[in-house]
Amino acid sequence: MEDNGGEDPVNNNNDTTVSSEGSIIKVTVKTPKDKEEIAISEDASVTQFKEEISRRFKAKQDQLVLIFAGKILKDGDSLNQHGIKDGLTVHLVIKTAHKAGDGASSSTSCTSQVGSSSGSSSGPSSAAHSSTVGSTGGPASAPPQTPNILTGFGDLSSLSSMGMGSANFMELQQQMQSQLMSNPEMLSQIMENPLVQNMMSNPDLMRQMIVANPQMQQLMERNPEISHMLNNPELMRQTMELARNPAMMQEMMRNQDRALSNLESIPGGYNALRRMYTDIQEPMFSAARDQFGNNPFSALGGNSDGGVQPSRTENREPLPNPWGPPSSTNPSEGGGGTGTTGSSTTGSTNPSVSNPLGVNSASLGNGMFSSPGMQSLMQQISENPQLMQNMLSAPYMRSMMQSLAQNPDMASQNPASSPSAGTNPAQQLMMQQMLQMFAGGNASSQTPEVQFQQQLEQLGAMGFINREANLQALIATGGDVNAAIERLLGSQPS
Amino acid sequence: MDKNDTTTYSVQLYIYDLSRGMARNLSPIMLGKQLDGIWHSAIVVYGDEFYFGGVGISSCSPGGTMLGSPDTVVELGNTEVTEEIFMDYLSSLGENTYRGDKYRLFEHNCNTFTNEVAQFLTGRKIPSYITDLPSEVLSTPFGQILRPILDSIHIAPPGGNIINGRHS
Repeated sequence: MEDNGGEDPVNNNNDTTVSSEGSIIKVTVKTPKDKEEIAISEDASVTQFKEEISRRFKAKQDQLVLIFAGKILKDGDSLNQHGIKDGLTVHLVIKTAHKAGDGASSSTSCTSQVGSSSGSSSGPSSAAHSSTVGSTGGPASAPPQTPNILTGFGDLSSLSSMGMGSANFMELQQQMQSQLMSNPEMLSQIMENPLVQNMMSNPDLMRQMIVANPQMQQLMERNPEISHMLNNPELMRQTMELARNPAMMQEMMRNQDRALSNLESIPGGYNALRRMYTDIQEPMFSAARDQFGNNPFSALGGNSDGGVQPSRTENREPLPNPWGPPSSTNPSEGGGGTGTTGSSTTGSTNPSVSNPLGVNSASLGNGMFSSPGMQSLMQQISENPQLMQNMLSAPYMRSMMQSLAQNPDMASQNPASSPSAGTNPAQQLMMQQMLQMFAGGNASSQTPEVQFQQQLEQLGAMGFINREANLQALIATGGDVNAAIERLLGSQPS
Repeated sequence: MDKNDTTTYSVQLYIYDLSRGMARNLSPIMLGKQLDGIWHSAIVVYGDEFYFGGVGISSCSPGGTMLGSPDTVVELGNTEVTEEIFMDYLSSLGENTYRGDKYRLFEHNCNTFTNEVAQFLTGRKIPSYITDLPSEVLSTPFGQILRPILDSIHIAPPGGNIINGRHS
């Protein structure tokens, strides 16, 4: 239809552009690189369309392959035939016709530069492609043979970028913590998450996580009081309730700080404070500092108004702002918390802690936060024991896994208590199974009796014949024989 | 209307759930909304599976990645596009918008690629529940919180070969 009617509706199109009575439609032509809008008559043939395209894209007509709705547009067809209308998109592939050598249609802009840089021409390259693809059909069916375990594992390479398989996990946690600390709303949102709250309500889990922190372990070695504190479930529970409720925690801390500052006014009080600081607080702060970037005041709240004291004169000064820039807060002012005050001031049975135990309350949630990605891959991990090894060797993972494994109840509580999950037995079962899988990997069984077998024997050998009581004590102290002994002694007369 | 003499190839969409069902169970707790899966998709045509990941466009035999068999297979229809043309097309894509370093978990991921290829081959798009996933996740507060971390994740199921437009 070469009907160059005089009244051609315009549009840029020059000579050869079609014409005829058809109205002009705008068709988008899309290549892998870019796309252009081409105006063409709706009655045009594919050939004419290609002419226009070849001009626009600066390629030869016979290199153009047009595809629409899965069909290749042949020169003899018309656009109408294929249903190409205004506003639709047609795909274009420009063949690099270099069967021999390259260059040729060195189409500037577009597409196809197929293998020119890799030195293969398009024809042979597609053949090469199909042959490589074909040949991998065989070996590809075997499980991945990549040498590096972690990066070889697909989604699990995402784990390595999350740092799971290496010590980077700690950095990741640190990053999360610093992010969380800089954004208080995030913190409150996190705290509201039922999963987090559940976890917090389990003292054993918390304790294990805290203990797993190597800096914490160092501290504990130097200051045995701290470990006692951790072993006291009552304290832990109160602490956790505090952590759960940020408002309450702030209140507590303020009381604490006030009480401590009043301490200064009793004779000898200042010295006591000093002592407290240097013995206990300082190492804690330095341990905490490394991890938390100089913010010692975000922490699990302390317990009661335990010990600290009466005052001669009331302290009316406003307390220093613990959440201000680190340099402005001087912990020795008594504005901060301390470790156990029990020994130095009052000897009360509830040591008060308002100092970070080394673990940010928010960070405890972090362990679970890596979980959306992490958990989604657990099944795959369990299928491959080597990967699991790698994962477990990340520092926090092991402790969390152990505690999860030892507390299948907690896990079953988690989904159960979330509003939407309700009591879905299949779901709980799945969670339990999952945990048991890991428990298997950890070789720790689930009944406390078996778990504490060794400790029970020790206690028996020492003369504590009441196995029930021993077991109770061990459970309460999480397997700590010495603390269990103290408990037992405390409860027995004489 | 004479397609009789042109051979057509059938095109399928393989959909995998990266979370193996865990998303369906855990998403209500963690995100507050129900997500039935974390979807990864691939196009299967000419007897091969093609997908986009953190390493670029890869191909393998159907179901040949570590993910195993797909959870769902959707028939996208038939295409006249020959393998040769398709490979040219993929190579160009692999040099431009679908290089490995262009991978973005939320905005430019495997499903983006699959959607584009599906339209190229058949003119049809992939089911919207797959392409809606990133925005679903990001619309939850948790998704927002986790975003910086998730952004750095590159999903790249192994078991395939990388199609290179050029060596990077």
